[in-house]
Amino acid sequence: MSASATDDGLVSLAAREARGGRLSMAGLLIGPATIFVTIGLLLPILILFRYSLNDFKPGLLMVDTLTINQYVLFFTDPYYLAAFWRTLRVAVAVTVICVILSFPLAYKLARTQSRYKNLLIMLVVLPLFVGNAVRAAGWITAFGNKGFVNVTLQWLGLIDEPIRIMYTEFAVIVGIVAVNLPYVVLTLQSIIEGIDRSVEEAAYSLGADPLTMARRVLWPLALPGFAAGAIFCFILAMNAYATPVLLGGPQFVMMGPLVYVQFAVKSNWPFGASVSFVLMTATLLLTAAANLMVLRRYRN
Amino acid sequence: MAGLHLEHLSKHFGATVAVRDVTLRVGEGEFLVLLGPSGCGKTTTLRMIAGFIAPTTGRVHLGGREITALPPWRRNAGIVFQSYALFPHLTVAENVAFGLEMRKLAKDEIASRVSEALRLVRLGSLGERLPRQLSGGQQQRVALARALAIRPDVLLLDEPLSNLDAKLRETVRIEIRELQRQLGITTVMVTHDQEEALIMADRLVVMSDGEVKQVGTQRELYEHPADRFVAGFVGRSSFLPGTITGPGRFETKGGLAIACASGLTGPAVIALRPERLALGPSASGLDNHLQGTVELVSYLGASVDVHVRVSPADRIVVTQPNRIDSRTPEEGEKIAVGWPAGAAVVFPDDGSTARL
Ligand SMILES: Nc1ncnc2c1ncn2[C@@H]1O[C@H](COP(=O)(O)OP(=O)(O)O)[C@@H](O)[C@H]1O
Ligand SMILES: [Mg+2]
Repeated sequence: MSASATDDGLVSLAAREARGGRLSMAGLLIGPATIFVTIGLLLPILILFRYSLNDFKPGLLMVDTLTINQYVLFFTDPYYLAAFWRTLRVAVAVTVICVILSFPLAYKLARTQSRYKNLLIMLVVLPLFVGNAVRAAGWITAFGNKGFVNVTLQWLGLIDEPIRIMYTEFAVIVGIVAVNLPYVVLTLQSIIEGIDRSVEEAAYSLGADPLTMARRVLWPLALPGFAAGAIFCFILAMNAYATPVLLGGPQFVMMGPLVYVQFAVKSNWPFGASVSFVLMTATLLLTAAANLMVLRRYRN
Repeated sequence: MAGLHLEHLSKHFGATVAVRDVTLRVGEGEFLVLLGPSGCGKTTTLRMIAGFIAPTTGRVHLGGREITALPPWRRNAGIVFQSYALFPHLTVAENVAFGLEMRKLAKDEIASRVSEALRLVRLGSLGERLPRQLSGGQQQRVALARALAIRPDVLLLDEPLSNLDAKLRETVRIEIRELQRQLGITTVMVTHDQEEALIMADRLVVMSDGEVKQVGTQRELYEHPADRFVAGFVGRSSFLPGTITGPGRFETKGGLAIACASGLTGPAVIALRPERLALGPSASGLDNHLQGTVELVSYLGASVDVHVRVSPADRIVVTQPNRIDSRTPEEGEKIAVGWPAGAAVVFPDDGSTARL
């Protein structure tokens, strides 16, 4: 509904401008963004793609040619495939956890009539003021053998020996969830805020209990926004860098760090480029698939 | 169908008292209207009946059963919200069917009750539309059909007409009233619009500052307002503050001596209905007969409002029917205003500021 309203607005704006002979002005305004997208995003991607089709010879570095060698290498080496599946697994887990955790919080934030609402929102955003690396460093102190978590568990008598948390998939997932949660909470919150509260009350008055109301009214209305929040979270998780490096350790290879190592450490540009492309394509395909699923659900 | 009984209902929001000790009985099939200015606690009262707000103290009974602690989904109250609150992702028919599905009725039973409800509000052919494809008036009727389809024990309407344009409002209020009477459904409506309230209600409840000021029929409220607030809010009145100086004797702050029929003593306010006053030659011979100056004349078509200054502190509004032979006074003209002693209502002066 809101999308069509915006479209109408744009159409009428464009019509008014055309009448005033100001279309060129609009072009002038959109220009910089278009140029930026082309030069800053599209061009590097094209160059990257071209690199990924080159070959790599130790000593010679990048060799100009046209080959799919780099992609074949990626998909035949168990080490790289494992990194790929690991990344996918972590990203899906992070997304599911984030959506589930943020829903109650987002709902409360959206519906609260407290005058401290803005303060609460600030509290959600606050973690974003700390960079990912700094935050991961914080987790390191919590997850270490003598860290906060182990000490607490021992003190409670739940464990005798410290358990290993650092350098596990668990630590990485917790770390990325912590990074992504504020984004998802804020996305969901704004979606829920856009749903008229009296619609929920109408459902109650018609005999729906809270669960039924959520399933029949809130969920379908919030679904598109949920999808947006989840996709955003998924993309961030797929491309996570600092958190897997710091909390996963050298054995826990994910795609983001892999790209970095190929470019910066091994100077293997063709392979780094092809890994980037695999990552980007997988992210795009999964995002598109999720979108399609939502659209189909939404139409029925 | 069922009667509704509110017993000493109060609601506090922190330090604000939104509703204070409201006790009301709504008879089976009765149309009760809560009338009062914005912020006087009407919506809060309605929401306590619906179950969206838990009262701080007091009880709600519906059909002889106490429902104070029941959640909204177990109350069987049909509600029409100010914003209509239609489910935007469901068609008109699905909106109306929602409450019936919650009651786990058979599919064909649901279908027949949906079409019956839509026919009732004259929307029979629009069942497949989405709410956003309807006009405001049509959306309002869907909301009504949805609330009626569940055959509620009580119908609750919160300013249901306030989002319609003035012309539509006039027809819809009659339609709702006739539908309510035809179905014999116990109804509580909230409004701040006195005309709407007077047209639709069997009985009215005038509220102010969270309290019930008076309950009664249109005639009772108009002829015997319980206090100065009601006299100003239901219909119009000119207020003359002053003091009762003796039996039947009143002196305004402006120094005018007025005859009135009241047993009160001490500071008081006289309320005068504008259409109960006589102007010009017809004022002579009445108990009260004051000389004044016309300050303002408002031509309203069917009638003319004449504002007459009768003392430096007192001004009286007189409404004259706009007859073919009546002469409209000119501004600045000297004129007489008169009324029989029994035409005025006298209240003890509670010190509140005058409203008109
Ligand atoms: N959720 C709430 N929190 C705090 N105050 C409220 C709340 N709801 C209503 N109020 C206050 O209670 C009073 C009555 O409100 P309301 O019942 O909405 O009035 P009305 O419907 O007559 O305009 C108002 O002063 C309002 O500010
Ligand atoms: Mg209200």
